[in-house]
Amino acid sequence: MRINFWYISSFVISLFVIIPILTVFSSFLDNTSNYYQVLKDTFLMEYIFNSLILLASVLILTFFIGTGSAYLVSFFDFPFSNFFKWALILSFAVPPYIYAYSLTAFFENYGTAYTILKSLFGEGNYNQIIPKFDGLLGVVLSISFSLYAYVYILARASFLYQSQNIIDLGKNLGFTKFKAFYSIILPAARPAIVAGLSLVAMETLAEFGAVDFFSINTLTTGIYNSWIAFDDLAFANQLSFFLLLFIFALFILENLSRKNAKYHFNTKAGFKQKQKIQLSGKKAFLAFSFCFLVFFLSFLFPLSQMMYWTFKFPENLFDLKILDLLMNTLYLVILSSLLLIIFGLVSNYGNRVNKNKTLNILSTLSISGYAIPGVILAVAFITFVAWFDDSVIKNLGFVSIKKVFIGSILGLVLVYFIRFYSLAYNGIKSGYEKINISVDESSYLLGYSKRKTFMNIHIPFLRNSLLFVGILVSLEIIRELPITLILRPFNFETFATTAYISASEDLLEAAAVPSLFLILIATFFIIITSKYILRDNYE
Amino acid sequence: MNKNFFEVKNVDFSISNKTKVKNVSFSIENEGDVICLLGPSGIGKTTILRTIAGLEKIKKGTIELNGKILSSEKINLEPEDRNISLAFQDNSLFPHYTVEKNILLGSERNKEKNEKKISLKEIVDLLDIQRILNKYPHEISAGEAQRASLARSLITQPELLLLDEPLSNIDQSFKEEIQEKLKKILKILKITTIIVTHDSYEAFYLGSKCGIILNNELKQFDDPYNVYHLPNSIEVVNFLNRGTLIPAEVTSPKSLENKDLGTITGNFVKPFPIGSKVKLLVQPEDLHHDDKSNLKFDIIDRKFRGTNFIYTLKTPSNAIIPVFVHSHHIHQHEVDEKFGIKKPIHIDHIVCF
Repeated sequence: MRINFWYISSFVISLFVIIPILTVFSSFLDNTSNYYQVLKDTFLMEYIFNSLILLASVLILTFFIGTGSAYLVSFFDFPFSNFFKWALILSFAVPPYIYAYSLTAFFENYGTAYTILKSLFGEGNYNQIIPKFDGLLGVVLSISFSLYAYVYILARASFLYQSQNIIDLGKNLGFTKFKAFYSIILPAARPAIVAGLSLVAMETLAEFGAVDFFSINTLTTGIYNSWIAFDDLAFANQLSFFLLLFIFALFILENLSRKNAKYHFNTKAGFKQKQKIQLSGKKAFLAFSFCFLVFFLSFLFPLSQMMYWTFKFPENLFDLKILDLLMNTLYLVILSSLLLIIFGLVSNYGNRVNKNKTLNILSTLSISGYAIPGVILAVAFITFVAWFDDSVIKNLGFVSIKKVFIGSILGLVLVYFIRFYSLAYNGIKSGYEKINISVDESSYLLGYSKRKTFMNIHIPFLRNSLLFVGILVSLEIIRELPITLILRPFNFETFATTAYISASEDLLEAAAVPSLFLILIATFFIIITSKYILRDNYE
Repeated sequence: MNKNFFEVKNVDFSISNKTKVKNVSFSIENEGDVICLLGPSGIGKTTILRTIAGLEKIKKGTIELNGKILSSEKINLEPEDRNISLAFQDNSLFPHYTVEKNILLGSERNKEKNEKKISLKEIVDLLDIQRILNKYPHEISAGEAQRASLARSLITQPELLLLDEPLSNIDQSFKEEIQEKLKKILKILKITTIIVTHDSYEAFYLGSKCGIILNNELKQFDDPYNVYHLPNSIEVVNFLNRGTLIPAEVTSPKSLENKDLGTITGNFVKPFPIGSKVKLLVQPEDLHHDDKSNLKFDIIDRKFRGTNFIYTLKTPSNAIIPVFVHSHHIHQHEVDEKFGIKKPIHIDHIVCF
């Protein structure tokens, strides 16, 4: 085996990401406090049950919304289909906890729904007839409408890449549209859909804000409680470990079910662009209604609720230092995204050119950070830094490094890096999977070195994937809550932390302003890059 | 000592630790020569090209180009350092660049070369790809992609050009034209080339030498005429599938006897002792039609091949013999009729096993 620059870089990056994850694993063997026994006797089963129900419900809902809307906009022409193509990704701008605030604000007693009914029909006992979307149902809706876009984007990209040939083949075999969809189109898009659902699953299991807001006991809140209330990091880590196992089990199950089926899309010449089917009449109306409903519920509804409150309570607008919050948020986003893209790219290329088993295992482990809830990762990071400082740095006689990493931008960015590394790595990897290995070989044979192949062939090809990864990571960071709450420097706030603090103090109206800004910034990000994400070209 | 321009010595060609072709030796004597490797699909022809290009390593033998060792057990020059170009069978154009940009990327390799033997325009005209220059690879047909890929390889003007089934996706009607152009351009540019193909006509036309790869071995490496008329093994005869082997007995240094055909005269390629029982190779062009002959066999099949018919005859001892007849031949026969063979039978090169 040749040790080269790419191998070493890839190795070091993966190792760095794995360290805090290993910290989580290593504490699995530590002693736990009495909290474990208390929890075992009381709520543990409830935590597991709620987590499973939550996961299953969110996965089913996001699958139907994401795949259904992607299918409609990819294969059919109907009024506003081109608008929905990108409008449906705007839901990314609304994190589950803000969606939860909106749901509550709208449907609560004397909330917005009540006000609307009152203004339309006069005084009445509307609170009894207005449905309440709180508790587990509230969490499922908040997470699903916020996260379905993962499935939508990846499924749509995959649908677009399907050649007209396989669609024609279905017609030739006499399939109806529905049969062609579930027996040809859907199976061919399966890896993309599963990738989307995996992201949704990990986000759901790690979700803290919405779950906390609706006071649902899940494994994540269990983790948080064991750390905050009982100071039992070991047990918190054990619960995280359990979550990780759950995620891995899902991956393995999916991999096994694929058997030897290949889903590689043919990039050969001869690829035939799809012709969209023109819908009219009732069918066009139904397609439009479905997409509009999804767009309305996922984006317009929370946006209007937050705008309504902002205008209703304008004093909150002036209490905030908007510019500071904006600069803080952007600073974190730009720094972290750049780091993630650069290192994710280098690590992917290192894996591609080396095809080494150790590196492969290391990379696989390194992407598990995404499944670890942010709160536990932040704590694991603090634990590791403290241990490293006490046992290595101080013993060597150096000045303590705690301040450099804990409660600093550097520490925050590093934990973001660990947390979202898998997002960057996998996003770039899926871009890389579209580059046939013979493209690399052709490049070498044209006299290009590995570095030149990387710079001149891969990076231009991956441009759209990199932008996509950049926006995904940025959105995650804009919306991220627990890591920022724990590791942010003193007096350093973002829109997310400001919204959370107001909401946790039962000042939902005050949470509306930072929430609205968060949605607007995220929307702006999505709009300026949507043409790259959704470009109907070779990617 | 006369040094060959390119030489493969005792190399085992492997892919993923699986040996595909064992102990291969062949050489290209002069710069600018074109050779073809012929064999059935999956036999390892592509592995040979990939190894020569440096994409696969070897554990045994040496590969040398222009006096420099490219591959051996200890040495493995990286592909980018070999100045060898390989045009893959499948389209390997860079999908995010137009065809023109793809081809121009090839020209960057040797831009420092003082003498520019061929321009982009010349190559584009030669391969007739003007229309697709501004298109992306996914917008062109497989045949066009193959020509674009060929253009990119040619414009690099490498020391050694490797073409993997270069014309496999090109329409039959256009194939001969491209073959002619390819032959011409390789000659003009004096590019030493190894072409891999499963089409014997293509190999015989393009290559000054042909290697036949069968059963994990390079069975024969010779000029096309010899490969066809003087095959060195039964496997090669069976692969080329253009003749039949019938039992015969050597009766003199210039004749042998077959139960159905009688006496056959000619020159033995390899001498056999008188009285030897051999298998005689009879190729379709060795026997001639003669309605007046009393040596007649049953016709069991007739294939129209444009310029000729191939009659398949069955002898009384159940041997199957093919015979060519010019398609303008006035008297055609139907299946189940009798077909006369001109006597005496004389075969210029008698090939026996």
